[in-house]
Amino acid sequence: MLITDDSAPFQEAYRHLLAGTDQPDWLRSQRQAGMERFTDLGFPTRRQEAWRFTDLEQLTAQPRLPSLDGAPPLPADLLEPWRLAGKTHRLVLVNGRFEPALSTIGTLPDGVWLAPLAETVLRRPDVAAMAFGADGNAFAFLNAALFTDGAVLVLAPGTVLEMPVEIIHYSTGDTQVSAHPRLRVMLGDGARATLVETAAGDGNGWTNAVIDVTLGADAELTHVHVQGEGADAAHTSLLTAELGSRARYRTFALITGASLSRRDMQVTLSGPGAVFTLHGAYLLDGGQEATLAVRADHKVPDCRTEEVVKGVLQGAAHGVFLGTVAVRPGADGTDARQLNRNLLLSPSTRVDTKPELEIFADDVKCSHGATVGSLDEAALFYLQARGIDPVTARSMLVAAFAAEVIDAAGLEGEVEALLRRHLARWLGGEGGLG
Amino acid sequence: MVNILEVRDLRARITGGREVLKGIDLTVAPGEVHAIMGPNGAGKSTLSSVLAGKPGYEVTAGSVLYKGVDLLSMPPDERAREGVFLAFQYPVEIPGVNNMYFLRAALNAGRRQRGQPELDAQQFLKAVKEKLKLLDIGDDLLRRAVNVGFSGGEKKRNEIFQMAMLEPNLALLDETDSGLDIDALRTVSDGVNRLRDPGRAIVLVTHYQRLLDYVVPDHVHVLADGRIVASGDKHFAAELERTGYAHLCDAA
Ligand SMILES: Nc1ncnc2c1ncn2[C@@H]1O[C@H](COP(=O)(O)OP(=O)(O)O)[C@@H](O)[C@H]1O
Ligand SMILES: [Mg+2]
Repeated sequence: MLITDDSAPFQEAYRHLLAGTDQPDWLRSQRQAGMERFTDLGFPTRRQEAWRFTDLEQLTAQPRLPSLDGAPPLPADLLEPWRLAGKTHRLVLVNGRFEPALSTIGTLPDGVWLAPLAETVLRRPDVAAMAFGADGNAFAFLNAALFTDGAVLVLAPGTVLEMPVEIIHYSTGDTQVSAHPRLRVMLGDGARATLVETAAGDGNGWTNAVIDVTLGADAELTHVHVQGEGADAAHTSLLTAELGSRARYRTFALITGASLSRRDMQVTLSGPGAVFTLHGAYLLDGGQEATLAVRADHKVPDCRTEEVVKGVLQGAAHGVFLGTVAVRPGADGTDARQLNRNLLLSPSTRVDTKPELEIFADDVKCSHGATVGSLDEAALFYLQARGIDPVTARSMLVAAFAAEVIDAAGLEGEVEALLRRHLARWLGGEGGLG
Repeated sequence: MVNILEVRDLRARITGGREVLKGIDLTVAPGEVHAIMGPNGAGKSTLSSVLAGKPGYEVTAGSVLYKGVDLLSMPPDERAREGVFLAFQYPVEIPGVNNMYFLRAALNAGRRQRGQPELDAQQFLKAVKEKLKLLDIGDDLLRRAVNVGFSGGEKKRNEIFQMAMLEPNLALLDETDSGLDIDALRTVSDGVNRLRDPGRAIVLVTHYQRLLDYVVPDHVHVLADGRIVASGDKHFAAELERTGYAHLCDAA
């Protein structure tokens, strides 16, 4: 019998990566544990329910291993489209490595730690250690083994960070390398921050990110995720978040890039009164495969989850929305709504949508819904009957459909402007509508 | 002077379905107002839809000249930019598309076609205000998405407002008067009367006499079972009021 072991090339890469490096013992054992867990689990397969609709063939056919060298210097203007306007605390990683020349972390108020993970390991090992949890999926374990850098953002209780934090991971090069950035965010009680986490690129690499968020009581985090990797790239990321009492975790996910992508979000509402909102859109074209898999776990009473995710698909794109709201015994007063709406612009597109509820408590208010439809022909004709050409008419209707979710998110200022800019670019550019 | 509209033996069917227009002849000269009346299901909306280029219909015979050129070979958006305007019997709701944004896009598309400079936001707003005042329409409709949440009367007023802004050469009004209270009917007929111009033509499709008390047509036609079965001058509408068109339909 021939057993193909997906993990073998990664074990090899792992040994190369660590050879001759000076790692603190605690970190070495974290990496080791990650490698072992990944080896045990291997890549997920479609036989696993949660991965049933996600075809990882592109990723597993040829292993994309971490590069041992840094990337060549990146022209700063490549980042321009991905940057927030205005003043930000910006931290840029290229192929998994911190790029000081492209970053401006700036002056931080008291009570704020924002630094690359590698630097945090050296200067604040106690803080860095918190970037490694015991939980995760196979990809997150692989990330723990292979990460080269990442970022850590910590706010002391009561701290308010006025300027947004911008963490951009850029993937470049055509040699199928992988990068495993690791991001840790901790907000103390009553702390407040805005984070824009962007994964972009132009190559055919694979970005495998881990983002771990903890919000204390009454903390508030606005977290925008933009995934605009290159057309031949792959992207996987696991976000876990734990919300304390009355914490508010407001998220937006905009997914337009990569030929294969999957974002997992596992949000645990573990303090009464916590609120989790997700607005999002996947805008897909060509042969793109994208999965957004969200699990909101209500462990205690009186928490709220609201998810509105829209998909626009053309070409032969395949979009997957998996949304589970779990309500544990005793989590009475849970209020959870999930809505996934999809607009299919060509007959070869496909959508799998599965909003689900697992309810083990009484006195809960839960709703979920999903729709899949095409452009309204009557509306298209109406626009044309007023002189608007068919391409513009289509684009107006698609823009209206997608913009609705940006409106609904109620974001402000430059963060909202960034999302609208990305949407406009997609509509006018590679989205092929323009 | 060349006719605005010359329809010759126009036959059309619903794509893959039955024939609805069974040989229509209609000539509309500049400056004229024509009324087309007739029972439900006669093909009135089909005629205006075919003229506007709505998908779902197949022209099987005949021809349509608009200002001397073949109308049927133009795509619907080009017809509109060339000055054909259809006021819809059932205006379509378009969520997420702002009414003003939409109308400015439409107006500028037409201006580009005619080689005129586009209106910027300010110039456009000025034009909008003038027309609103002229038509006595409130500006609350403008901030909303196209027709979304509009009452029946508001939708019809919005059609007339669009018509006033776009200043078409040929206006086809498909039952713009139906379902209106007397105030809305006045707005609509005012709008139409203001558009009357020696260079323009208007075709009013209507079910009722009512509108024709306010907008007095030059010609009145009865369309029944896909054909124009009778035509007359403005007095013909009043005659139809007394006799009804049942006897004309039987003849068809
Ligand atoms: N898109 C369509 N699909 C099916 N039947 C249609 C369609 N449009 C019109 N018809 C039919 O064609 C006939 C004429 O309809 P219509 O032109 O709407 O009449 P009118 O406007 O005079 O009331 C009717 O029998 C109607 O049911
Ligand atoms: Mg009709």
